[in-house]
Amino acid sequence: MIRARQFGTLIGLVLLCAALWILTPHFLTASNLINVVEQTSINAIVAVGMTFVILSAGIDLSVGSIVALAGVVLGTSLQSGHPMVLALTLALATGAACGIGNGALISWGGLPPFIVTLGTMSIARGAALLFTEGRPVSGFDASFRVLATGRVGFVPAPVIGMAIVYAAAHFVLTRTTFGRYVYAIGGNEEATRLSGVSVRFHKTMIYGVSGLMSAIAAVMLTARLNSAQPIAGINYELDAIAATVIGGTSLMGGDGSLGGTLVGALIMGVLRNGLNLLGVSSFLQQIVIGGVIVVAVLLDTVLKRKHRT
Amino acid sequence: MPVLEMRGIRKEFPGVVALDNVDLTLEAGDVHMLLGENGAGKSTLMKILGGAYTKDAGDIRLNGQLVDIDSPRAARDHGIRVIYQELNLVPHLSVAENIFLGELPMRWGGIVDWRTLHDRTSALLQDLGVTLEPRAPVGRLGLAQRQMVEIAKALAPASARAPAGKAGSAGASAGQAGDAAILVMDEPTSSLTSREVTQLFALIERLTARGVTIVYITHRLDEVFRIGRRITVMRDGRHVTTKPIDQVTVPELVRLMANRDLSEHFPKVRVERGAELVRVEGLGVRGVLSNISFSLHAGEVLGISGLLGAGRTELARVIAGADRFDEGRLLVDGQVTRFRNPADAIARGIGLLPEDRKAQGFVPGLTVARNIALPHGRRLATLGVLSRRCEDDMAAPIIGDLRVKATATQPLRLLSGGNQQKVVLAKWLAGAGRIFIFDEPTRGVDVGSKVEIYNLMNRLTARGAGIIMISSELPELLGMSDRVLVMHRGRIQAELAREDATEERVLSAALGLAS
Repeated sequence: MIRARQFGTLIGLVLLCAALWILTPHFLTASNLINVVEQTSINAIVAVGMTFVILSAGIDLSVGSIVALAGVVLGTSLQSGHPMVLALTLALATGAACGIGNGALISWGGLPPFIVTLGTMSIARGAALLFTEGRPVSGFDASFRVLATGRVGFVPAPVIGMAIVYAAAHFVLTRTTFGRYVYAIGGNEEATRLSGVSVRFHKTMIYGVSGLMSAIAAVMLTARLNSAQPIAGINYELDAIAATVIGGTSLMGGDGSLGGTLVGALIMGVLRNGLNLLGVSSFLQQIVIGGVIVVAVLLDTVLKRKHRT
Repeated sequence: MPVLEMRGIRKEFPGVVALDNVDLTLEAGDVHMLLGENGAGKSTLMKILGGAYTKDAGDIRLNGQLVDIDSPRAARDHGIRVIYQELNLVPHLSVAENIFLGELPMRWGGIVDWRTLHDRTSALLQDLGVTLEPRAPVGRLGLAQRQMVEIAKALAPASARAPAGKAGSAGASAGQAGDAAILVMDEPTSSLTSREVTQLFALIERLTARGVTIVYITHRLDEVFRIGRRITVMRDGRHVTTKPIDQVTVPELVRLMANRDLSEHFPKVRVERGAELVRVEGLGVRGVLSNISFSLHAGEVLGISGLLGAGRTELARVIAGADRFDEGRLLVDGQVTRFRNPADAIARGIGLLPEDRKAQGFVPGLTVARNIALPHGRRLATLGVLSRRCEDDMAAPIIGDLRVKATATQPLRLLSGGNQQKVVLAKWLAGAGRIFIFDEPTRGVDVGSKVEIYNLMNRLTARGAGIIMISSELPELLGMSDRVLVMHRGRIQAELAREDATEERVLSAALGLAS
């Protein structure tokens, strides 16, 4: 049933592509398609973390601010001449630490995820601004830019990064005990606890994964812009939630998959790209994308209701 | 002429007949005690009277006239008011707002007329002889006072909405509890202190003096004789008898409630008692359990009986590490133990089949095999990577063994209740458990699956496991237990050997009568 649902989202993506192919000749060119996937990659990676969190019946509003904070940590570190490996490690550790902090407050503090991550959203953003005095950080070594501009054959580096992240995350979610507990906690937390699973520890790690994904996205964003900006990543949480939900993951937790999230992120990317090609104003674009989110979830709800009865 | 006549009432739920040809007659001014074990059908009958359920067959007559009660609204309009076991009040709103919720007096089509509301509430409370401040938030009241608010709400006039302007004078007359004819109370004293009970009974007397007929469901036999005028006993969804109170005695009541034909067959196999697995000494949880002591041996089924709220489930959860205890000691295999969480208990071989399997027993979206493997993740994984083959290998034989009618890859939510229960059992059988706590193992399970669960218990005891079985079904408890503990209000009221345990003795102890 879960497969059938994903299939439906995939059909939606194909139909969308077909419509754009008819409407504009520029859409179905190799360079444009690669461009779409490349532009989708950052949201798609943030959405991986969001999928973990939503599968466990939580929510993470702090991802966008963590992208900014991890980005400025990376940028400042690179600018002051640290080796790239150290700078990357610091950035990823910052993201993971923010996430683990979220998770610890949620599981040990017993606070609602919405409130905790709303707080972190503001704290991390403020920290990023304070750290940089509100100014962008730039002036990196050319070797760092390879992360955005490099290509293997015709495939851009960000797409390769996204593919690796999805493969690894999919493996974790489907083949490891951790992944199993993500679904179990979201499906029935008390039953999972009574089965002897440390729900607190695993919940903390789930938010840690989300923070780590935001940091990976921050690395890619910083490389693409060739600068780290404390105001980066605004509204990323909404795009990530939208991709996850369009991809069929239930906000109630316990049901969904990363394949769906990837398709959901691509639908949003294709839609933006297509509307740009068609010359639709960015104001109107927002309305269209909002409508697509609501319609996608509405269709999902209706289909599921039919399935139940 | 009787105030109310219910004739031949029948109600079926999928797989069970909850009420079968039940009669109930109320005379004017009656305080009618409705008695029976858990699951006898008392609450179902009252839900039909109150319009919360619709009956499948039978007639209801009010003052001789055939009526059709198809909704709570219809019941209210006929003067029938039901106070259910769980109180339904909004804690942040005031006494007055709660009483007239949904019928707040308005003026100019939407502005609450506070003066009328408070006048009306004062009049109603005065009329009932209850001293309560209409403006007090319900959340700050004690349980007995909340009960009073609930009663006042039930008795508040059905259409109190007076036209704006005439507020003052209309308020006083509309405030009288005039149009309630029948008031049903479902175990109203279960959480009251004895002083509060006295207050409640005084109110009941005032109500009957004014011609309100009362139906009162309780498990406390002392109350039956204190305020009851007539009794009706129900058993297994059937009407057993209706009598005036002065024609029954306590032992007779107990016999009427318990007696049944033991037609069900229990395939009990007795096993030699082995070493002591669990020992509990003076265990207490503040406000819930006190001074609980018993032991469980290998090869034994220890039955625990008691009414709802006696503390059985709480005891089970403490032993399984799900909740903490405040006093006493818990010994497993002779070692003093304190579990921090269920994982600790599982590591010592303890498995809990929770009472509420939907809320606590399984993950609906996961497949059969994955639910079974859930407690065993660490054992099935290498460096955190699960082996699907190991999971399936673990699940397959148990699924076959328990005759679960499903494949290993079906999500659990698609299975029937009985099959879900078998999977929850299978979860624990797959491990190296030796101590099993089964809380209502056959609730909502069909007869065939019940027997399979009993057989499984036999196999477990044969291989040296000890089982604690909590059950509200007395025949099952007596049929499968080697010993029976009876709990009453958080304490152990009696311990009976299999030979001595009869339905009457267990029920008497559960009601707090004998020891």
